[in-house]
Amino acid sequence: MSLPLSSLCSHFFKHLTYCNSATTFFSFLRRIHCLPPPNRFSFVPSARAARQQLLSRLNVTAVNCSTLPLHNGAVTAHDAFILHYLSVRICCPRHVADVLSESLLCFGASSTTIDELDSHESGEEIWISSTFDVDQDVKDCISRAADSVGLKEIPNYKVEMHDHTDWIKQTQNLQAINIVLNPGLAFGTGEHPTTKLCLLLLRRLVNGGEYFLDYGTGSGVLAIAALKFGADLSVGFDIERQAITSARHNAALNNIGPEKLLLSLVPSKNGPEFENECPYEDISSQDLYNSKIIAEKDKYDVVIANILLYPLLDLAERIVSYAKPGAVVGVSGIISEQVPTVVEHYSQFLDDINVSTMDDWACITGSKKTEPGTT
Amino acid sequence: MATLKEILTRRPVAATIRLTVPAGGAKPAPPVGPALGQYRLNLMAFCKDFNARTQKYKPETPMAVTITAFTDNTFEFTVKSPSVTWYLKKAAGIESGSSRPGHVTASTITLKHVYEIAKIKQSDPYCQYMPLESISKSIIGTANSMGIKVQKELD
Repeated sequence: MSLPLSSLCSHFFKHLTYCNSATTFFSFLRRIHCLPPPNRFSFVPSARAARQQLLSRLNVTAVNCSTLPLHNGAVTAHDAFILHYLSVRICCPRHVADVLSESLLCFGASSTTIDELDSHESGEEIWISSTFDVDQDVKDCISRAADSVGLKEIPNYKVEMHDHTDWIKQTQNLQAINIVLNPGLAFGTGEHPTTKLCLLLLRRLVNGGEYFLDYGTGSGVLAIAALKFGADLSVGFDIERQAITSARHNAALNNIGPEKLLLSLVPSKNGPEFENECPYEDISSQDLYNSKIIAEKDKYDVVIANILLYPLLDLAERIVSYAKPGAVVGVSGIISEQVPTVVEHYSQFLDDINVSTMDDWACITGSKKTEPGTT
Repeated sequence: MATLKEILTRRPVAATIRLTVPAGGAKPAPPVGPALGQYRLNLMAFCKDFNARTQKYKPETPMAVTITAFTDNTFEFTVKSPSVTWYLKKAAGIESGSSRPGHVTASTITLKHVYEIAKIKQSDPYCQYMPLESISKSIIGTANSMGIKVQKELD
């Protein structure tokens, strides 16, 4: 019984140095006393083994959380995979379920879920599942929410501590399409309208021998598709480490060697960091950063950027600079109402702008302006 | 009234999920991850869709989103604008409402602020048919319950 409770305490103390305030310390102590007995925790060795396996698969150095790592106040990116959250099941009368869940959100819950399938069996009562951050005072939040809704007493509830492996595993399902893809936590199974629009564009443009740049590669689906259509070389950039490792993994699944598909991590904001030797401090990011290919401009016959509105506007000049003069640049990940802004911004860099749409999503293409007077 | 086509193709609902997510900041981490992962919904599709639709808001603004998960692992979601209390706190420049509303005033705002907030709220799906005046009255009511005074002009 002492083992789970002490690792629980270690986690609270980690938060203590991070938050650094006397009042939160007392609320932690109070909560340690009122938590239900440890048999409800999922702190079992099998969860930890699954987590290690998951971490090695995602190519992240695992932090051993059975010791007491007191970081100096900073919570590093690795912790994102080991952070816990509280899952609370609350039982309440059916007619207040909706209002109670809204009110829980106001008082500090991170999310609330009402499962409709449960509700058909039971009569009067319905279960609300809610998630909270580990440093939230669950009892306080529930009592305030119940009060504001008009319930006379605090509803029954059960608290459990979960960690991320539970739901991460559930979202990784293998999609068997012509390109074998395991997107994991990166974007791009080929099903989203923007991906489809970009794939149609690729099919039209890539005939054999081209150099292709996928800015915002995610799972690597577009880069791999370009190679399958006959491109000579595909390069993928992304700001997320998981995306680079996922794309590398998918290339291997499709028997594409690393010399055909080059990948690199890039900084998320446009600025001087791009030209630095390496803006990242941690070794695992440095491995994924390839400053040589980031510096090669005017190289690609086709450039596609399937990201979001603001990054597209911010990075417009950079994205277009990678294309050869006269080459085609395609941008997507924008909804129809955002199209005019993007067209206006990109018209300073591209000629012959064309917009194609699917559902509510759009893809904008144009060819890079060839400046007169330059080579 | 739903159209005939909608009734015939109606999918059984598996769950209704409510979340607060910062605008443009949906990631496969809590709160999004555990809530959606449980119903095997395509996390990244939701994140991308949500981020694209909330690009017009200032980043990190907390948006209330309601997701309807269907039994065939598809989903639909609606995004609502941030809560009135959040707007009021930002307009008044305070972190939290007054501890004794009615007795202790936390801060003051002008009618102009109320009008601006009402305009934003009117674009919410459930407020569209309300006259601006009614929305403003309800905002003033919320402000009173938080201990924020509403003045005609700032002196």
